[in-house]
Amino acid sequence: MTQRKYSVESIGARIDGFLGPLLASAGFELRYKISDADAGEGDFETPDLLVIFSGPDVDTLLANRAELLLALEQVTMEMLRFGSDEHSRLSFDANDYRLLRIEELRLSAQTAAERVKRTGTPFRFNPMNSRERRVIHLALRGETAVRSESAGAGPGRQVVVYPAGMASLPDVPYVPEPRRDGPGERRGAPRPRGRR
Amino acid sequence: MKQLVEDIAKALVDIPEEVSVREVLGEQVTVLELKVAASDLGKVIGKQGRTARSIRTILGAAGMKLNRRFTLEILE
Repeated sequence: MTQRKYSVESIGARIDGFLGPLLASAGFELRYKISDADAGEGDFETPDLLVIFSGPDVDTLLANRAELLLALEQVTMEMLRFGSDEHSRLSFDANDYRLLRIEELRLSAQTAAERVKRTGTPFRFNPMNSRERRVIHLALRGETAVRSESAGAGPGRQVVVYPAGMASLPDVPYVPEPRRDGPGERRGAPRPRGRR
Repeated sequence: MKQLVEDIAKALVDIPEEVSVREVLGEQVTVLELKVAASDLGKVIGKQGRTARSIRTILGAAGMKLNRRFTLEILE
């Protein structure tokens, strides 16, 4: 696996100097602990550093698929000028959210693979960030009957699982589900359609 | 909130002296106008607008605690 590049000693103070004032001026009641991650904790993500949050605002942090947690992580990585290949070197977490999410993604990957094998039709996941897409690809790396690839651009990029021999479908622009859930027509993402 | 946006922006850019935030109070919404050096625009916006989106998420969550809506406007 890749070598450790960052440590609490090398960047801990910069993270602390950024996060401390940020959380205070945002009024978030959160504490955090920065630590060096143990090497080889699972083969899906091997961060160098962990920032673990606790406190009354953890629920806010983890709401909407940990939207705030991931936003804080992202701006912190930008502040540190991490390259795009370094984005799994730092992991923000609270209540083991990351571990649970990886498990969830792994199960979804398996379910999707079974379905593609059964139906012979491609399966398109909802859009995910690169780290989550990576987990799906890794979860399927041992499969011989299906293959996975990412399609689309930007925040709409999504994993598509295909039967092993099938050519890729053309990209379909992702149309997010409308926020209001009302009766009437469904205008969701375009459904994947099998090609024979 | 002005402080929050200013702190984040200053940490992201190359020229922190050129970061300024103006707060425009509205009835429902407070608009925060962020100005940075032209060469630093990309830093606060990020790839595919990811960084700007993250800052807005943080601002939104912080605003919820105050029961107030904040909008971030990045001036070009």
